[in-house]
Amino acid sequence: MPMYQVKPICGAHAETDLPTCMYKLPNIHAQKGNSCTPEHALQNGEVDPAVKALEARQDEIMRKLHELKAAVEGLAKTVTTPDADLDLTVSSSLSESASSTTFKGVTDLDTVLGKDLGALRDIVISANPAQPPLSLLVLHSLLCQRYRVLSTVHVHSSVNGVPPQLLSCLGPRHADSYARQMFQLGFTLIWKDVPKLQMKFSVQNMCPIEGEANVARFLFKLLAPYPSDPALATMVDSWVDTAFFQLAEGSTKERSTVLRALNSALGRNPWLAGQEFSLADIACYCCVLQSGSASAAPANVQRWIKSCENLGHFSPAKLLLQ
Amino acid sequence: MTKEGVQGATEEEEQQQAQSKKGLKKQQKEAEKAAKKAEKQAKLAAEQQSTEEDDFAKDRYGVAAMVQSQQKLGKQCFLVLRQQQFNVQALVAVGDRASKQMVKFAANITKESIVDVEAMVRKVEQKIESCSQQDVELHIERIFVISQSEARLPLQLEDAVRPDGEGEEEGRATVNQDTKLDNRVIDLRTTTSQAIFRLQSGVCQLFRDTLTNKGFVEIQTPKIISAASEGGANVFTVSYFKTSAYLAQSPQLYKQMCICADFDKVFCVGPVFRAEDSNTHRHLTEFVGLDIEMAFNYHYHEVIDSITDTMVQIFKGLRDNFQTEIQTVNKQFPSEPFKFLEPTLRLEYTEALAMLHEAGVEMGDEDDLSTPNEKLLGRLVKEKYDTDFYVLDKYPLAVRPFYTMPDPNNPKYSNSYDMFMRGEEILSGAQRVHDAQLLTERAIHHQIDLEKIKAYIDSFRYGAPPHGGGGIGLERVCMLYLGLHNVRQTSMFPRDPKRLTP
Repeated sequence: MPMYQVKPICGAHAETDLPTCMYKLPNIHAQKGNSCTPEHALQNGEVDPAVKALEARQDEIMRKLHELKAAVEGLAKTVTTPDADLDLTVSSSLSESASSTTFKGVTDLDTVLGKDLGALRDIVISANPAQPPLSLLVLHSLLCQRYRVLSTVHVHSSVNGVPPQLLSCLGPRHADSYARQMFQLGFTLIWKDVPKLQMKFSVQNMCPIEGEANVARFLFKLLAPYPSDPALATMVDSWVDTAFFQLAEGSTKERSTVLRALNSALGRNPWLAGQEFSLADIACYCCVLQSGSASAAPANVQRWIKSCENLGHFSPAKLLLQ
Repeated sequence: MTKEGVQGATEEEEQQQAQSKKGLKKQQKEAEKAAKKAEKQAKLAAEQQSTEEDDFAKDRYGVAAMVQSQQKLGKQCFLVLRQQQFNVQALVAVGDRASKQMVKFAANITKESIVDVEAMVRKVEQKIESCSQQDVELHIERIFVISQSEARLPLQLEDAVRPDGEGEEEGRATVNQDTKLDNRVIDLRTTTSQAIFRLQSGVCQLFRDTLTNKGFVEIQTPKIISAASEGGANVFTVSYFKTSAYLAQSPQLYKQMCICADFDKVFCVGPVFRAEDSNTHRHLTEFVGLDIEMAFNYHYHEVIDSITDTMVQIFKGLRDNFQTEIQTVNKQFPSEPFKFLEPTLRLEYTEALAMLHEAGVEMGDEDDLSTPNEKLLGRLVKEKYDTDFYVLDKYPLAVRPFYTMPDPNNPKYSNSYDMFMRGEEILSGAQRVHDAQLLTERAIHHQIDLEKIKAYIDSFRYGAPPHGGGGIGLERVCMLYLGLHNVRQTSMFPRDPKRLTP
């Protein structure tokens, strides 16, 4: 038995924080503030001249790189003219950066399609699987480079089945396709038993647009406005019409007439509508390819076909025809 | 084969005579019939007739057909014999095989009696418009009544099958729905009803087959439950020994418990009881529910894709294998054929609101779609995309039940979806909350008594995978697929607040 009982003087279960870190040093990698001036002071406050020299060299290299990039971009422009016979893989990677310069002029989606109501603006195209619209696929790939486009392909119940390449003609499914709101534009392709290709956009404000030529014009105007010169604009339009009516649907005699006309036009200019690549080139190329007269075409036309392919926009169309 | 000797002595004599020469006659008959059959089949093959005619020829012996109607013209009597969806004209004429008394007997057989006939199949020069077998008729040699029907029928089958418009034009009667439902046994004999329910059986079959092929397990859930799952007001109460129990409003709770029990993908087909006092064209108090629930790996859209793919397979199966039935129904109830897209169209709620705004409907961001708005939206979608079936995703959280998982990116919306056929809702589904803590919070937010749903919340406390699902009503899907206007036409013995029998 204890003699005395004394109350504890200090608390029995005092928690003490035992430190785990022996010494604390400031982080040598951390940035000092948000200053853009690359003044890295040493511990005694002076700037090491060696560091300065290093920075100067770095700046020089960056400047040279910028110059090189500008030079390459200038070269890319010349590459996209018909006189080049570069490898397709090289030019396709260049064309991706050059696509914004392919079409002069900018369109704003809101002015063309109407006010954004906070929901996906869906363009619905119903096409017959027996006549796949190649020019629209080309325009689709151009749209995808310019905007965030959600593309989907559906098969309507009026059609029993379509070959697999028609199902994947718009490319692989986008990773974000579960969130429709995140896209600026929707491109829905429905393979249906329709006599004529049809496009619907805004059911209340727009009537349906029929015919591949007209839908191609609509889609092109989302990319770039038509040339402001009315004569040029009319020429583009007339080439588009020629392509879809005479090349695609005409008899062999009509087709050869068109090929001769193409030949003479291409003799004067690198592209059909003058110095710039335009909708006329897209339409004529696709129709020439679809009618199968590419191999029998005259010399200028062959050269123009090669330069179209060099641009790299036409790969979806070519894939589909295989 | 039971024989009713109604005629008396003459008939007996005939029978005896027939039996003595039976062997010879039978051989002769068989040879003739075989020749006729071969000839007919060759003709059929050449004209590419439907296969039902071939089957009918094979079944000539021991056919138990129903007499649909008869007409006596002097020495001849015409009968229309019917078997399920098809009917054929039959003729009893005075000749070496039939006596006058036999013709009289045939003329007096009451409609809807069951008869056994032996007859020769003969081609006719003129097409018989009123029957489904249009280019052959039967020349009866022997006819026996197996089961006689009462003389006075509560409704006439020709009237029951007549399309509504035609009835008014020609001044002939059509039967109204209540009479049809009161005498369901007779009404179900019509070609239209036969076609509808065969199609419904096809839907069930396709549903099971498609899901089984996708790796789903079929389960059976209890229908007598202790607590109302969806809400207290719409349950039927049954007395359960000394206490009372409820009839299940949906198998939801048990489907989810199966997922927590590691079944991964389940479906169940069973009755659903809703005590809603709604007397509309699309509500029943008891209907067959086809329910799906599955766990998913990355995103609840896997659930949507599974369900829509199942529906598309069902539609394709109906389109490819049940055209006869669809055409039969269309004769009485004309409608547009059902159109759909594959893969199914999925729109978001905000897009639907934008479409409705364009059409002039004012709706708040978090409002639920009313029935007229749903119908209008269905029409707009049909106009733009040409499909009768689509999914509306990302409903606002405020209008969904407490167990719906909120959208992680936007708390105003939820991971829930509805599916529509011809502008009417057939499925309401969602990703379910699988975390007991979150479920409790949502329940409190919706002011639900936690005691009542304690068992439900407890089932998620021991590890639950993220899952989602939905359920469709078999009758409603059939009704909308065929373009009918009342769900009672697709329910065999419908139950609604005013009808409890047959």
